[in-house]
Amino acid sequence: MIKKSGFKVPFVNRRDFLKQSTLASLGMVAASLPATAWSVDGDILHIRNYVDIKSLDPARMLSGGEGVIGNTIFLNLVQFRPGDSWNWDLDAAEHFEQLDETHYAFRLRPGIQFTNGFGEMTSEDVKYSLERIMDPAMKSPNAGDMGSLSHVEITGRYSGVLVLHSPYAAFIPIGLCAMAGGIQSKKALESVGGQFAIEPPACSGPYRFVSWQSQRKTVLERNPDWSGQPAAFREIHIHALNDIKAAELAYEAGELDCTQTSIESVEVFRRAMPPSSRLDVISSLRYYWVGMNMEHPKLTDIRVRQAVQYGIDVEAVIEAAWFGLATPATGIIAPGLIGHREKADVPLAGDRDKARRLLADAGVELPLKLTLSLPAQSLEMTAGQVIQWSLAKIGIEIDLDPQDNATLITMGMESAGDRWMDVQLHLQNFFMLGDPYYATEWFISKQVGVWNWERFRSEEFDNLHHIAMELNDSAERDKIYQRMQHLMEQTGCYRFLAHSVESLLSRTWLQPAYRADGFPMYREFKLSGPDQA
Amino acid sequence: MLQFITRRLGISLLIVVLAVSLMFGMIHMIPGDPTSVILGPRATPELRAEMNERMGLDKPIAVQLGRFLGKVARGDLGEDPFSRRPVTEIVFEQLPFTLVLVFTAIGAATLLGVPLGCFSAIHRDSWLDRASALMSVAFIAIPSFVVALYALLLFSVRWRWFPAIGAGESGDLADQAHHLVLPALALGLGWIGYIARLVRSSMLEVMEENHVRTARAFGLPERIVIGRYALRIAILPTVTILGLGIGTMMSGALFAEIVFSRPGIGKLLHEAVMTRNYPVVMGSVLVTTVFFVISTLVSDILNAILDPRLRGAGGK
Repeated sequence: MIKKSGFKVPFVNRRDFLKQSTLASLGMVAASLPATAWSVDGDILHIRNYVDIKSLDPARMLSGGEGVIGNTIFLNLVQFRPGDSWNWDLDAAEHFEQLDETHYAFRLRPGIQFTNGFGEMTSEDVKYSLERIMDPAMKSPNAGDMGSLSHVEITGRYSGVLVLHSPYAAFIPIGLCAMAGGIQSKKALESVGGQFAIEPPACSGPYRFVSWQSQRKTVLERNPDWSGQPAAFREIHIHALNDIKAAELAYEAGELDCTQTSIESVEVFRRAMPPSSRLDVISSLRYYWVGMNMEHPKLTDIRVRQAVQYGIDVEAVIEAAWFGLATPATGIIAPGLIGHREKADVPLAGDRDKARRLLADAGVELPLKLTLSLPAQSLEMTAGQVIQWSLAKIGIEIDLDPQDNATLITMGMESAGDRWMDVQLHLQNFFMLGDPYYATEWFISKQVGVWNWERFRSEEFDNLHHIAMELNDSAERDKIYQRMQHLMEQTGCYRFLAHSVESLLSRTWLQPAYRADGFPMYREFKLSGPDQA
Repeated sequence: MLQFITRRLGISLLIVVLAVSLMFGMIHMIPGDPTSVILGPRATPELRAEMNERMGLDKPIAVQLGRFLGKVARGDLGEDPFSRRPVTEIVFEQLPFTLVLVFTAIGAATLLGVPLGCFSAIHRDSWLDRASALMSVAFIAIPSFVVALYALLLFSVRWRWFPAIGAGESGDLADQAHHLVLPALALGLGWIGYIARLVRSSMLEVMEENHVRTARAFGLPERIVIGRYALRIAILPTVTILGLGIGTMMSGALFAEIVFSRPGIGKLLHEAVMTRNYPVVMGSVLVTTVFFVISTLVSDILNAILDPRLRGAGGK
């Protein structure tokens, strides 16, 4: 059920050895623990979350860490199936059908009860839940996920039709299946003024909310009003641990049953696995690339940008920064999604001779000094150093400019001042959802000065983005998104690096469930059978 | 004495206002647009504008600072733009964890360090004194975050004697105490050595004083001589240092809170700075500054109580 991506044992050079021996010493401490059989702590599952939640209101949720909890306590009309594909299943709906490009009919399962005595889920609740996301007065940052949703027509106590202004191909994967699609009790929400922060007035999933302690944990418990398959655990304790190393140690200390691990710890854990544990490495949708500000005086010549493209050895970057675990990126759309390209235009290993020729043709005086801005995190810094080494071989001297996330995130934004003018090269990564629309929308012309720091403008790209957004034909969309990534790469502004991985450590008595991108689906977590423990 | 306290209070208030104003300026100088960090990529221009207005970011810095100080005077520290909860509630929710940690660490350091220092002074130049000196210097030299990491690896991961994360279950004092041991050890270990050396050095000086020799000459028991005559004077520098130490430990607590994933104001402040959550940053800074000032004030008052010379001079 869980896809394990293959990994290569990396060639151990001096840099790798120094890094890994430090980490291995931590692993050896853990490995010297007695081989104790683990069991559930009184039916309580302890899990790590990477953020402390700020809101569980679907109209206000901002992070995946909140979405993970929302997915456990709320039902959506439809929901992604756990596994390695992006197929979806009926959730609260017993029937769901696309009638035409702008109409989707649903019928709810009768008997779904909200907690705290707020009664049965009806189509009124679906209407209320989805329309409030789109309500301008709500000012929901998640309204964009619902795309062109206009309103919900009620056709019966349990049935209705979702009506869109215009076709929106990503409506199901990005709208309905995502955190904004969680169905709320209209009565419950109206009783608390129409919105809530942390404590939901009513839940509808197999677990219900119990408590939240700031900077500590959120507690969920089995929902007694749930009429579906009983939840596997009496309680789930979701510990807010934003430091991933602390989470790894907490797992090794026996205080967590499931956690993400850092990429560099994968090798450590493979060599010295904690007792009764398994490690799953799952391809994620997060994509990394080196972008170039085409309006910077040093980068206005396309030949210089192309030289940078051909000068970067992506294979070496992945080997060093991801220990060979990540999938090389051929664009911004990961394998398994519509629009994924099998091959990039620029070879993965680059082509130094071609890079040198391009620089010579451009008449650039060498060495050319450029700045690479990047997050001050271990993975990105390692990648940056390899890029620095790689480009040095073609006469480009890279000055690394590490920044904290909040500084970096606005570097290329015109709203944050004139810093965008100084951006040269930047190492970036964006998260994605299960539809390619979510990847390309940050690179349209309208995003120049917002998220499009390369300042890439293409009328064709913009048109294709809007066409694909409304097209329901998967084969056509596939061709369009491939073309769009080709257009991006042709500008010389993008050197695609990798689609990252999620590394997840869990107990063997636990049968975890993850979405195709490694997003944990707690409500699907079960106890393993005896042959799987 | 009253005049002394009043004067110190006035100075303390000025210190708080200056520190908070300085921090306000600094946090606004750091690059990074809080609206983008808070709202993420899905925010529309209208949402950004609304958030900027709600956080007061559309006003000049001087106006923002004035508004903030005005609100503080009314007891309002503003609202967290993420969760829309009052900052007062958020900060005072976390503060007790840090205070418990700091006071436990400094209390343990004092309880261990003072006797150790006295012992070393009394048995000056003995092998026990030398061993104590070696230990004290070692404790001082090791950075607290290194102690924290190794304590976590050894006592939590390896031996499972103590928990690795959290602050314990609410209402369960024993569990909370269990969770406190390692973080307090990490934070306070260096202070044991520091206090021990300070007390030793002060005691050696005071024990040569005439009044101590006189007390001995009158045949008073040694424990009375040490406890009532020598230590009472020798402890004065330590009391001053403890006042400063409590304040310093508030920032040192950040490492312990991160390594042990404990709730606390240090971790709250760190996260707020990283996400440019200005209201929570300012609220946290204000509270920690006030606390720092209070701890030094209390230390000064204690000194004045212990040393009448300070009272008479008006605390100068």
